[in-house]
Amino acid sequence: MDLIGLFPTWYEPAIGSGWVIGIIATVHVLFSHTAVGAAILFGVLAYIGARDDRPELIEFIRKYGLFLLVFSYILGSITGPGIWYSTTVGSPRGISSLIHNFVWKWATEWVFFVIEVVGVYMLVYLAGKLDRFTYMKVAGIFAVTSYATMLAIVGILSFMMMPGMQEWKTEGGYLLGFYGDNTFAQLMIRTAFMFTITAAVGGIVAAGLKDEAFKKWLLRRLAAVGAVSAVVGISLYPWYMSTLPEIAHLVAENRMPDYFTPSILIVLGAMLAYFATTIIKPKMVTATIAGIATVAILVLGLWPGETIRESVRKPYIAGQYIYSNQVIGHDVPGMGVTSEIPTLEKVGFTQAHIFWPESQREIHRDNAADVGRTLAITACSNCHSLSDTGIRPLKNYFPKQADIEGIKTYLLGALSTGNTMYMPQIPLKEAEAEALAVYIASLNDPEAIARYESGEITASLETRSAEEVK
Amino acid sequence: MDTAMLYALRDPLGIPAHPAIFLILGVLTWALHIVAVHVLLGSSVLAIRGAFSGMDHWRRLASAMVNTAKVAVSVAIVVGVAPLLFVQVIYDPFWYTSNVLSAWWVIGFIVILIVATLALFIFYAMNYELRTKKTRCPGAMIAAILLFLVVGFIMHALSVQMLEPDKWLEWYAPNGVIDASGRSIHAYNPWRFAFFIALSLPVIGIWLFGYRRYLQGAGELDAEYLAFVKRIATRLGAVGTAISLVLLVMWMRGLPADIADFATSVWPIAAALALIVVAAYPLLLGKRLDQGLWGYTPVLVATVGMIVVAAMREAIRWVTLYGVHGYNPLDYRIVMDWYSTGLFFITFGVLGGGVVAYLLTVAWQAGQTEGTYTPSRAVNRMGTVAIIMLVLWVAQYFGFGLWTAYA
Repeated sequence: MDLIGLFPTWYEPAIGSGWVIGIIATVHVLFSHTAVGAAILFGVLAYIGARDDRPELIEFIRKYGLFLLVFSYILGSITGPGIWYSTTVGSPRGISSLIHNFVWKWATEWVFFVIEVVGVYMLVYLAGKLDRFTYMKVAGIFAVTSYATMLAIVGILSFMMMPGMQEWKTEGGYLLGFYGDNTFAQLMIRTAFMFTITAAVGGIVAAGLKDEAFKKWLLRRLAAVGAVSAVVGISLYPWYMSTLPEIAHLVAENRMPDYFTPSILIVLGAMLAYFATTIIKPKMVTATIAGIATVAILVLGLWPGETIRESVRKPYIAGQYIYSNQVIGHDVPGMGVTSEIPTLEKVGFTQAHIFWPESQREIHRDNAADVGRTLAITACSNCHSLSDTGIRPLKNYFPKQADIEGIKTYLLGALSTGNTMYMPQIPLKEAEAEALAVYIASLNDPEAIARYESGEITASLETRSAEEVK
Repeated sequence: MDTAMLYALRDPLGIPAHPAIFLILGVLTWALHIVAVHVLLGSSVLAIRGAFSGMDHWRRLASAMVNTAKVAVSVAIVVGVAPLLFVQVIYDPFWYTSNVLSAWWVIGFIVILIVATLALFIFYAMNYELRTKKTRCPGAMIAAILLFLVVGFIMHALSVQMLEPDKWLEWYAPNGVIDASGRSIHAYNPWRFAFFIALSLPVIGIWLFGYRRYLQGAGELDAEYLAFVKRIATRLGAVGTAISLVLLVMWMRGLPADIADFATSVWPIAAALALIVVAAYPLLLGKRLDQGLWGYTPVLVATVGMIVVAAMREAIRWVTLYGVHGYNPLDYRIVMDWYSTGLFFITFGVLGGGVVAYLLTVAWQAGQTEGTYTPSRAVNRMGTVAIIMLVLWVAQYFGFGLWTAYA
């Protein structure tokens, strides 16, 4: 049997599953990066606190830790698996690819999570109870463990863009999939921004300190860390871009909205201005201002950053072998994976897809629109909304007056053969292309289906008699 | 949905170690997760029960239980990541399909869990002195409990939907028209859900035995309070086990015809016996319950009991998916990867075990110490070794990484 392992599709017409995943992922990045950065900050502060016998530093860790307990460790640890959940429903084979390649890495990261949770509770609830050197040791363990969680995940994130080393495709194996130029470039950038975010979030807590002298001391240092790390992070950006494949550059140049680069530069400028003001006049910083700075990073900084990372890996969803519509587009001999394109070319989606309604396995003029809708949900909706709203609406990619024959010609000529830039190859049998064309035409012209079914439009599919339909 | 279709849904990448390892880890970590969930639910219910009471003992217990719930929710979430990971490895055709078919509920799970957890923390933050002050905002705790039950129900439904591949296509394309909205819950089993929730009663009962022993160790002088806790613990253990057993029987009686024999197999009988042992064990201990580490052993026994229950849960999945539908998770294609497999087990067994042992030793001893806690030389050495292991882990990460990428 010619089957390919496609799952059902979740299609969310209002905003699109991609946005749902993006929102959860961005929120998680804020929480998790803050957690890691704060853990390292705690380690440093606990060291100074123990060395110079400064209990106010331990008290700050306790206060900030309590805030982070909810902000990062509770919400972060829910939104972390939340990304799994959202990608599971939005891109099951994408997440499956990451899971099956890197299950042990994720399991290893889980060990660090457990240590982290124990650690943060100890830092919060045993502050002042443990002697300062033991407290420092616990903070040190907490810091290294937290950073290890970032080390564990970054290669997996990198694999979403491409395998660490191209040899992975022919030789397989965890190491070649996980490690590469892009892994290290991404690690360095994330490390830098982790400190920027931590400095901003730390400001929320530091602004509330009663001891003015200590508040000034701390805010200045946080601001310095934030400013330096922001500059370092941005200066690493060219290195990161240089590690991306050619197709990613093309997508970045042609598909990213014009406001992306200016918005990132504006955020950087605003952050530097904020940190500079903090260094010069720390008294001006209030919890509200620091909170606004944090939200600004989230909305204007992290969101474009994560969007770029998400966009430039198209048309792939993982490892440069699975397309965003979940079809395996290339062989990976090193892992024993074969492309599903030949199967689709041979029998089409209607015969190869496991979750295909039996009544739509044969295509006729009277069910073509239904089959077209099923095809659009299956092959297009991961990247293109089928409604007026949401992510890249499909109807916008075809002229309003486009006729069914014209759309069909494009689908068979350019899409089926893989000759559309940024798009996966989507092999369609002729009848499938006609069915999809009918559905696409109806998005701009709802009357198109009626005209097609009545025979007003010339096409290749036959209409069945009522007896045949039964 | 025939067997060939189920196999076609498997990830073609294969898995990096023998599937039995993932199956066993899945069972063990799920058991630990569900124990934390039971402690969370049980302590939350006791907290709100005590918060509405005027009795000093109840209010004191409520105060302790809010703190327990607060930690338990973190533990439940973080430990729950592991079984969530392992189920995707060998049961991916079933887990992913079930999730996609109820996608909005899956997304709702995240949002509801966040709201529930925040509600729990709000109650905690507003009732620092629950023992002596009037209860504030009890609605937050009630909302938290209800929402925790909702997220539990979502997970339950996803697990039940996994087991019914025959109905998947009808759920996805009712009357031949695709419904990709993911807005429906398609299957659930009220007895099964009630059974797993009811287990919170005996588990929190056993937890209270451990709590009582901890207080004794810390020099608790209020003998009446200790007796009160013991009374509640014993009652919860006995009544909770009885309720759970009834629900287990009801669940087994309602099994589908094609796996009806499972009800009289060794698995549910072992689970029932394990629950009886869990409830009876503290009573059998008698006076030893107040001596040394014996007082903590009921918690250990309860954990083992939950592992038996988890094994039964896995067995029912096995007889359904393999026995009825022909899917054998143990014949998943293996693409052995020694490095990542070895790294996990070393990190888990050596590094994780060592570091957590140090942290828990410090936390434990500090809790039992008046004033500032200074660890012994031996405990200090454990800490130093823990840090060295972590540094070595980071070093090997960069060592292997740089060698792979640039050598």
